[in-house]
Amino acid sequence: MSAVWSAALDLFPLLWSGMITGCLYALGALGLVMIFKCSRVVNFSHGNVAGFTAFLIYGFSSGTLLELNWGSAVVLAIVAAVAIAALSYALISSLVFESDLTATIATLGIGLVIQGATLLIFGADIVSLDLPVPRFSASILGLRITGYDLTVLAVATATIGGLFLLIDYTKLGIAFRAASENAFAAEVCGLNLRFVHLFAWVIAAVLGVVGAILIVPTTFLSATTVASFMLQAFAAAVVGGFASLPGSAVGGILIGILMNLFTFYVSPEFSSTFLLGVILLALNVFPNGILARARGTRV
Amino acid sequence: MSEISQNAVSGGIPAWQGRAVARALAVAITAALVAMPFAAGGSWTYLLGVCFANSIGVLSVSVLVRYGGEVSIGHVFFVAAGAYAVAILEHRLGVSILVSAPVAVILGVALGIAFAWPSRSISGIYLAVSTMALALALPELINNASSWTGGYEGLYVSLDLIPGAPKGLQRYYLPLVALLAVAYALGCLRQSRQGIALLLARSHPVAAEAFGITRGWARLSVMGISCGIAALSGAMLAYASSTVSPSGLTLWASIFLLVGSVVSLYGLTFLHAIVGGAFVTLIPQFLASAGAWIPVLYGVALLGVILAGNLGPKLRDAVGRRRSRP
Repeated sequence: MSAVWSAALDLFPLLWSGMITGCLYALGALGLVMIFKCSRVVNFSHGNVAGFTAFLIYGFSSGTLLELNWGSAVVLAIVAAVAIAALSYALISSLVFESDLTATIATLGIGLVIQGATLLIFGADIVSLDLPVPRFSASILGLRITGYDLTVLAVATATIGGLFLLIDYTKLGIAFRAASENAFAAEVCGLNLRFVHLFAWVIAAVLGVVGAILIVPTTFLSATTVASFMLQAFAAAVVGGFASLPGSAVGGILIGILMNLFTFYVSPEFSSTFLLGVILLALNVFPNGILARARGTRV
Repeated sequence: MSEISQNAVSGGIPAWQGRAVARALAVAITAALVAMPFAAGGSWTYLLGVCFANSIGVLSVSVLVRYGGEVSIGHVFFVAAGAYAVAILEHRLGVSILVSAPVAVILGVALGIAFAWPSRSISGIYLAVSTMALALALPELINNASSWTGGYEGLYVSLDLIPGAPKGLQRYYLPLVALLAVAYALGCLRQSRQGIALLLARSHPVAAEAFGITRGWARLSVMGISCGIAALSGAMLAYASSTVSPSGLTLWASIFLLVGSVVSLYGLTFLHAIVGGAFVTLIPQFLASAGAWIPVLYGVALLGVILAGNLGPKLRDAVGRRRSRP
């Protein structure tokens, strides 16, 4: 009985922290899925751009580039992310309609350029970027809940909730759903597909910035930190079926929890191999995502 | 139709003439490369040996794009499989590359098919994602199997193909011969029934299915061929550089192979492969001091070639239309 109790005491914090990091993976995955859903392009530059913007926040607030307070630095970084997204899409927009494969390869090129730019501007050093959250921690049922946890949960819920409201109820969202469902019919009805794609790229970039800001305090910031989180985001998107927004949100949380359990109970050294296994298993068992049956109800 | 557009591409030269020029060029460059070690120093011989091995790697990525319509950013995994097969067979069994290279190819084909199996029936973009995971998992696997792979330090490959012959020359000519053989085999594949069947499965899946060629079968075969070539590239890389270590086997190396493939226009001939391999091998060598400019340069080259390939024909059409206007 006591063995069960102590196992549960182990399990509880693991599930909780898995869910917190899972929210971050979900934010990354949602950005990938937004772009993939409407244009069938896998954006491999997503992580590099998000990492670059995290560095911009550091640069704008630390005095490396500018000396601003944290809030204005974030706003500036979001503006920069939107500009980069718009520029990236402008570069590849002519490819998207010809071949999604070519456009996907082109995003790798964009990722290389952004990665190189990060190294050129900020170097290969490790810096720390903190999140101004209230120092707070409480203990419930053997669970340590910190201010950071609650911030992540609140921001992620608000962002994802806002995204779903945007897609369900606004004109832009309806256009996005129409273009994803049937691009040809949407174009016949007078929708400008380029505009819809641009909308998806911009939203994805903003999601990437939010994700990067929240991820960085858990580790440190280097030229590869954020990009290395992309595998988790990709795994989350695959588990969700890659074309389903709710699926990728659920997939993100699932990946967060599974990763935590795996690193605690099995081995922390094989996490990428574990994710590879999850991706292959997910492709085999539910190629259309874990929420495939519930499809059509939303988005 | 294709004849006409090809004429347009080469600016009015008949297609057969263009092909003859390309063939003459290939023969000339091959002859130059064969004579190279007698004119240039040892460092050049070494560098070009590695370059030939990388050229084979570029070909493996191009095969996947051309025949499968798919992109892999994890081919370094299969390259590593070939390279470690050579090194481990030498260390454990004491056999030279003559035995281990065919084993490496068989291993690569088997791994490629095993890996493509889960995604055999779904859209191609998933292969890019799962190969990315493969490339990221590779260093973990190598470092944790250090009793076999030598961990971070890697393994030496010291046995020669022909004992007694000059080492440098062997490590130059064997990769060159392997590259020529792969290019020749790919030329044969293009003419063969099987090659045409694979192309049909890519361009007209329904028609191919009517002939009994399912998409799943085509996808597995292409992946098998491509990964076999990648493993051969790894075997040659291990032989040409005399070492195998995980430091060069990263996701970036995979992406660079893809960049090489794009820069060589996904071509499957000897000349295309040399261009792609040289791009991958020589640029980091000559721009070693440039550091972070290298990814930028690669990214710009990738985007430039893709955009030129996309915008070029459109511009030509626009110019042609203006000219033909009365």
